[in-house]
Amino acid sequence: MGIRSYFARHIKKHIDVYRIDDFNLEPPDIHTLEHEVNVFRIEPSMTVNVTSWTSSIKMKCRAESRIFSEYRVNAKSYLVKRYVKQNVKAYSHEVKSKIKVHDAMKLIRDMPLELSDMLKYQSVKPKLLNNEMLLAWYGPIVEGAVIKLVWNKQRGTLLVWYNPQSRQYKAKGVYLIRRLGFGEKPEWRWV
Amino acid sequence: MANNFLGYMMIEGTDSSLRGVALITDTRGIPKEFVRTDPLRPEALDRILYGESFSAYAKQSLILENLLDAVSNDPQIWICNDEEILEPLKTVSRIKSVMLEESPHVPLDAHGHIETSAEPNVYLIQAYVNGAPLRAEFPEGTRTDEVEQSAGILTEAGKSMNILEPFNRLQKSLSYLATGRA
Repeated sequence: MGIRSYFARHIKKHIDVYRIDDFNLEPPDIHTLEHEVNVFRIEPSMTVNVTSWTSSIKMKCRAESRIFSEYRVNAKSYLVKRYVKQNVKAYSHEVKSKIKVHDAMKLIRDMPLELSDMLKYQSVKPKLLNNEMLLAWYGPIVEGAVIKLVWNKQRGTLLVWYNPQSRQYKAKGVYLIRRLGFGEKPEWRWV
Repeated sequence: MANNFLGYMMIEGTDSSLRGVALITDTRGIPKEFVRTDPLRPEALDRILYGESFSAYAKQSLILENLLDAVSNDPQIWICNDEEILEPLKTVSRIKSVMLEESPHVPLDAHGHIETSAEPNVYLIQAYVNGAPLRAEFPEGTRTDEVEQSAGILTEAGKSMNILEPFNRLQKSLSYLATGRA
């Protein structure tokens, strides 16, 4: 750099600019990268070591001349108690279509009919004496077929035993009437 | 020869045991025929196979059909108190069927009167001269004339018996069969 150029740069803030007309650079060399991939066939056998006293399973995988690192898989260890048989028998489950039916007349023949009090539904009430009051009404009952009547005081129901051989069908109702007074007994009055 | 019998069917039990009874009575409530089934004890596999429908299957296909097969007297009408067996009772027996219950309704105008209800296939029937009407549910598809005929049968029976009373005896007999105690 000469003096003129020095002063021109520092005092005049001028710098010399040159034109390059001959721009003749060599293109870069391009080469194909060569690489080699080694392919190993992994052996199909893989060993899994399970111990009943550890909670992990070791998996080893081997390839030709290489051993991959061991993989540890956390797992619960179970003792194998039973092996599934190769031949499993199939059984058919029979769905029932028949059920035994028995004659049970003996059970119900002696069972009485149990009638509830229906007094509240009686629109026409019987004439009563001064010392009488209505307690209940039971019906319809075929009076002519009755063998026995028992009043279930606790449940307020009337137990009726019929004669199964009876040919009577005419039904009535029966009032239970209480007579007020010492020693008086309730009365059954058919209507 | 036609009879005037009424048929009652009841099937009850627990998850582990089901049992059915059928009673034929005359119009006084006197038993004419009574049959019972052995208890049906389903296996665990039956319950898995049938799932929720096991009870319906057992009641309809096992107990009801076998009871109907065993009964020798055909009633005029079959009466039950379980909606689950109402339809098959009619389908299998080919006899009029109805599910009856007490109703809290005040007595209707006249003995034998029928009143429709807001529920489908449900009617109120004044079967007794004095007493509350019965709530009667018929199987789907029951014609009006069949309802009237059924109401006629019940009204006639209601003159000489309490129509719902036989259910008490069926209940007692089922309890006795299950527990051995009256």
